[in-house]
Formats: sequence, C-alpha cells, structure tokens
Amino acid sequence: MSRSTLRAILIPLASVVLVFAVWAALIRLFGVDSFVAPTPLEALGAVREDWSILWPLALQTLEETIYGFVAGAVLGFVLAVGMAQTRIVRDLLYPVLVGSQAVPIIAIAAPLVILLGFGILPKVVIVAWIVFFPVAVSVLDGLARVDPDLVALARAMGGSRARIFRVIRLPATVGPLFSGLKIGATYAVTGAVIGELVGSTGSSLAGYQRQANSSLDTAAVWGSTLLMTAIGIGWFLLVVGIERLATPWRTRSTRPRLGFGASIRPDHRPGDAP
Amino acid sequence: MLAVNGVSRAFDGAPALAPTSLNVAAGEFVSLVGPSGCGKSTLFNVISGLLEPDAGSVRIAGRDVTGRPGSVGYMLQKDLLAPWRTVLGNIVLGAALTRGVTAADRAAAAELAERHGLGGFLDHYPHALSGGMRQRVALMRTLATGRDVLLLDEPFGALDAQTRLGMHRWLQEVRAASGSTVLFVTHDVDEAVFLSDRVLVMGPRPGAIVDELAIDLPRPRTLEMATSEAAVAAKRRILSLLHAEATT
Repeated sequence: MSRSTLRAILIPLASVVLVFAVWAALIRLFGVDSFVAPTPLEALGAVREDWSILWPLALQTLEETIYGFVAGAVLGFVLAVGMAQTRIVRDLLYPVLVGSQAVPIIAIAAPLVILLGFGILPKVVIVAWIVFFPVAVSVLDGLARVDPDLVALARAMGGSRARIFRVIRLPATVGPLFSGLKIGATYAVTGAVIGELVGSTGSSLAGYQRQANSSLDTAAVWGSTLLMTAIGIGWFLLVVGIERLATPWRTRSTRPRLGFGASIRPDHRPGDAP
Repeated sequence: MLAVNGVSRAFDGAPALAPTSLNVAAGEFVSLVGPSGCGKSTLFNVISGLLEPDAGSVRIAGRDVTGRPGSVGYMLQKDLLAPWRTVLGNIVLGAALTRGVTAADRAAAAELAERHGLGGFLDHYPHALSGGMRQRVALMRTLATGRDVLLLDEPFGALDAQTRLGMHRWLQEVRAASGSTVLFVTHDVDEAVFLSDRVLVMGPRPGAIVDELAIDLPRPRTLEMATSEAAVAAKRRILSLLHAEATT
C-alpha cells in the first residue's frame, strides 16, 4: 500500500477517534450520568449487544436509502436535462424545484404516509424528494457552464444539435452530477430516518430508537444514532468511490485499462509533460 | 480552393466586417494580420459557416458553403479539448459529432498522431499535457476531420515564445505532409512571414483587406530564412501598413 493510500485511510480514522475522544472527555468533565448521556464506548456497546436486531433494521434503512437515492438522482437528472432544453420549461419548473425544498420534510412526511401507507414507499419518496434537488441544480448548472466556444467548434465541425448534446453537453454534466449526488448522499439517510420516524409500525431503526428512548435506554438511543450516521458516511463514501471510477480524467493522467498494466503505467502530472 | 466573395456582416446595424473578398489556392498558406476588432473573427465565423453573412458568398472547391457549417477545419487559440476524452478520443471528435467513431477512424487518428510526435500520449487526458502539446492535439483533431481547408485562428497565441518557435517548425512539417490549404489569423508578424506564402493585411474596424504581399521564400523554411533580407523586408512592409492604419 502506498504512502498516500495509507494517509487517505488513517487520517479520516483519526478524525473519528478525535470525535469520540472529545465526546468521552466532555462526559467525564461534566460528570454526566450514563442514563443522561452515555460515553462512546457505552453507545457502541449497546449497538453490539443488540446487533442481531439492529443489523436487519440497518439493512432496511439502507434499502430505503438506495431506492430513494437512485429514484431522486434519475428524477433530478431528467428534470435538469429537460429544463435545459427550453427557457420556458426552465422558468416554469425552477420555482417548483425551489418550492419543493421549502416544504419542511418533517411536515410533509406524515401526509405522505397517509397517502402511501406504512410500507417502504413513503420512505423512498422522502429520500428521493431530498436527493433530486441538489442533483437537478448541479446538472442544470453544469449544462449552463459548457464552454460556448466548444459548442461553436462542434457546430463548425458539422455536429447536429442532437449529436452535440450527446458528445459534448451530456459528458460535461458528469462532474456536476456527482457534486449533486455527494450532497444528496449525506442527506439521503436522514430522509429515510424521517420516513421511518413518522410512518413505521415499529420495526425500523427509527422505531428501535423511539422504543429505547421511552425505556430510558440512553446508550441504545445514541448507539442507534451512531449506526444511522455510519450508514450515511458509508453511502457517501460509496458515491465518492463510484465518482472516481466514473470520472477517471479527474484523478488520472491516462485512460485506465483493465488488467495489470493499469496501475503500473508511469503517472504524469499536469505541468511535467514534455 | 477557398473563394470568399464580397462577404459583409453587421451586428445590430453596426458593421463588423466591410465587404471582403479573398482567394486561397489549393495548398496555399495565407495569413491575415490586422488590429484587434478588425473583423477577423467575424470573417472566420462566416467562412466556417457559423455565421450567415449579410451579403456575399463562400465557396470551397467551387461549392457554395455560405452559412453551412462542417465544410472547413477550424481551430482556435483555446485548445477546447474535451477533458473527459483522451488524446485519441479528442482527435476523433469530428467523427463522433457527425457519424459515429469507427475502428478505422481510431486507427487513422493513431497513425496521424504517431507520425507527428504524439504517439506516446494517445491514452493521456488533456489535463496531463502542456499547452503546446494540447495545441498539437487540437490541430490533429482539426486535420482528422479530413477537410481540405483549415482555418487557424491565432492557434499559438496563448503559448510562450519558445514553445511557439517549436510549433512553427512542427506546423510546417504537418502541413507539408497533409497538403492542406490554410487560412491563418495572427497578431504576430514574424509568425505570419515565417509560415505564409501570402500575407493579407486588414484595416481597423469594420475591417477589410487593405493590402497583400507574397512571401517569396522557398520551403521548408529555416531559421536563416526567418532573418533573411527578404523576410525582414516583408516584415517592415507589413508593420508599416499596420502603423499607417493605426494612425489614421
């Protein structure tokens, strides 16, 4: 493992340890009782104790997150592409976009449950509701920022409108798309949990937490919160990983090849080319 | 090969290009020099088909291509390489934009790049290349469209003087191999003299061509020729024309 890879793993781990250390120190410093607020070790212990219950619930939350995230990303992307085509459509839909985010999610969650039932659907809709916005805005922005000179060049080369869209405009949105996806990824799990809080009959992470709360099992409340956070971080990292694979030109100097040659080719950096 | 006939254009009533005519013979290298805002860019946009002229026509090999893009190869000061495409992917951009890239396009592009010193960079992304290399790729992209007439709009304008000298030699070689007809815009009088068969001098806005002079130097041109009596005389003449236009 190279030095830089090691750093890329160790430093974020160190920041997790740092957060836990500050948390533990504050508990000690103020002499907080453990039923008021647990130390990180107590919270983690509660997760380990109930792992067999929590694990399937975590998978369920993850499932809601994934479906909602994908639905929201597709919706946001399609909306942005559609809006970029004509000014009227854009001017018509932009206020709707902004309005959708002004609606307090927590307030719309309950009516959505009445509308869509207690199953996975309202959670997916809430996640999608949260995710589509940053994706749509980023992609719209990306489409607007395509270099007009590049488009003029493409026209001078004889490119039709449709071809220019496919060969120039669409690939240019990939970077902005991932910017939107990363913002969406951090909020997506929050959306799923809000859906669970409002519309669950009990068997969900949020339901577990509510139950722990009412039985004054503070360690389990904090522990399940940690678990939700971990899912959020994990999801974000996955999106970052996909981004690296999907946009090799941002991090590599040459096109990746499959097989062994890919990693051992000499790496040029901007500026040191002949 | 390229015949521009009485082309003019105004924007919102303000003339940007006075009626202009010029001819470039097959295989000829013609430069346009003139002050900023003299209408060179407007003229290029008309020839490339991006802009409809108010009057006049553009013909290539006898065919009327006025207002019809896709008839000439076009290159600007900005390299405009697509960052997500490799060097090879950028060279075949013309095919991607018109009919889809075939294996033959890729092979031809690779062969072209190798012949002109870019062979080791086919899989590189543009950000990994220097400014000079990027302009070389941009020229390869222009050549790969297979057009006989190339419009080069200050292609080396953003490069440092040292790199530019290398590019001049390289461009000579490339053109000797391709036999392309070139119309070249530049601010650099030395560059115009060194590269061209003929130099056209444009007047200030709304420019038209005020004079032309032939550069009678054999090819390939060498450093000695760049400083020869004939070259210096040509440079003096062009500069005096530009100065005269600047003061009137």
